[in-house]
Amino acid sequence: MLDTVREVHTPEGVALRLPAAGPVPRALAWLIDFGIRMGLLLAASMVLGAFDKAGMGVYLLILFALFWLYPILCEGLFDGQTPGKRALDLRVVSSDGAPVGWLAACVRNLMRTVDMLPFGYACGLVSGLFDPWGRRLGDLVAGTMVVHVPKSRPLSVMAADGVMAPVLPLRPEEQAAIVAFAERAPRLTPERQQELADIAAPATGAQGGEGVHRLAGIAHWLLGKR
Amino acid sequence: MRQEHFIVRHEAEWQAFEQWLDARGARPRRARADRSWRGLADEDVPAAYRRVCQQLGLARRRGYSPQLVARLQELMQRGHALMYRPPLPRWQRAFEFFAADMPRLVRAEAGVMWAALALFAIPLVASFIGVQVKPELIHTLMGAQQVAEMEAMYDPAKATLGRAAESDLMMFGYYIFNNISIGLRTFASGLLAGVGPALALSFNGVFIGGVAGHLQATGHGDPFWRFVAGHSAFELSAIVIAGGAGLRLGLDLIAPGRRRRVDALVEGGRRGARLCLGVFAMLLAAAFIEAFWSSIGWIPAWGKYSVGGALWALVIAWLWFGGRDRHAP
Repeated sequence: MLDTVREVHTPEGVALRLPAAGPVPRALAWLIDFGIRMGLLLAASMVLGAFDKAGMGVYLLILFALFWLYPILCEGLFDGQTPGKRALDLRVVSSDGAPVGWLAACVRNLMRTVDMLPFGYACGLVSGLFDPWGRRLGDLVAGTMVVHVPKSRPLSVMAADGVMAPVLPLRPEEQAAIVAFAERAPRLTPERQQELADIAAPATGAQGGEGVHRLAGIAHWLLGKR
Repeated sequence: MRQEHFIVRHEAEWQAFEQWLDARGARPRRARADRSWRGLADEDVPAAYRRVCQQLGLARRRGYSPQLVARLQELMQRGHALMYRPPLPRWQRAFEFFAADMPRLVRAEAGVMWAALALFAIPLVASFIGVQVKPELIHTLMGAQQVAEMEAMYDPAKATLGRAAESDLMMFGYYIFNNISIGLRTFASGLLAGVGPALALSFNGVFIGGVAGHLQATGHGDPFWRFVAGHSAFELSAIVIAGGAGLRLGLDLIAPGRRRRVDALVEGGRRGARLCLGVFAMLLAAAFIEAFWSSIGWIPAWGKYSVGGALWALVIAWLWFGGRDRHAP
């Protein structure tokens, strides 16, 4: 329940890590979709209001399509993303990490009827809290889950004046932490860089700005630039 | 190997794979038509994907930086999504589903289907006979206003059947939204231990039986039967099937047998959802008939009844024989 990342072992023998999305981003995505649907319905009612009873029929058809077909079509056509999910970087995938298929999209959205019981997606919320990967009943039945789409960032390592060896021998996880620092540092403020570098003072033997420079040097040494 | 060397050595491969994913991954059909592609050849993609997987495994094992691992993981994930995506839907498959899989599913759940039919038909017949014997019983089902409206709807002197002056298109929209939502809700409420579909089925049975009985007894029977003859085949059977699927879901909840309850629910839900697709299509057909055929007043009774009879025969034959020849027992 605490580790919401699902590891799927693929036929290639490598673990695929699927970060499960919790109820809050999913509810927000649903709200965005709800707003879009309401907007479309309002626009339709304004146009169709001019056509008396036939217009009423078309309006009901559109209501039906927005209610039942909108999520199925969006998830089927746009690789598991409705506009709301796209806005929040969420995606529906099959539980083995493959893209969601049409049948699964139909099933999980038809089962919304159950998740909405008795009111306000209560069943879905309870199921999501008990499931280790936050799946609502419709997801369980369809064999799908909602994941965060990873945001890719270009690899850029903080520049260093010179390469230097660490003062102390470092354990593997400490090495990884220093490299990770050098890769994240360009997006941090200088104050935060120094604050973080001070934690590693025993390895660099320096404080403040000098510590940051030395840490970058050590990172380059660890990365193999010697 | 140091991370830097690792990156230098493999960067070109990763970029080639990434470019292929960007250019040709998303739309296979359009990509095949494009002959000018000069990057990674399509037939080399599985091998490139496997190499990325292997390199990701190495990177994790050697403790390379989270950023590099994240990048490889993203490449792998995109490759995985491509290698293992479900096949594109085919029209033939949809046809097969409705012609064979759907009746087979219904027959596979024969027990709950018969139970649903009983829950629906027994109250229907009982209330029909009850209203014939004691006509005042109709007032326990609905108010005087509703009775008067109903009698006006099926007034034998009217040109159209079963409704006031609404247009066909409006009623089509109404039937679709109303009936399909009711059908799906009947199924879904099965999660309340099967109580939902049982209540929905018997209540609908009592109500429909009461209405039919009252109209029959007061001499409005002819327009009423002419109106319902056409669409009843699809509509009533769809409601019974949805109810049966709901009962199945309820049974899976309270009596999962030797399976884990969640497994039973998942399996039941998957079957139920497929049945729902069929129910959806049946109610769509029913709404179409109800809106554009049932209300036509000038067609003589024998025309209406023979079409209705043919549709009933069609539905029963479909459910009884559909998909039997392939996996003959």
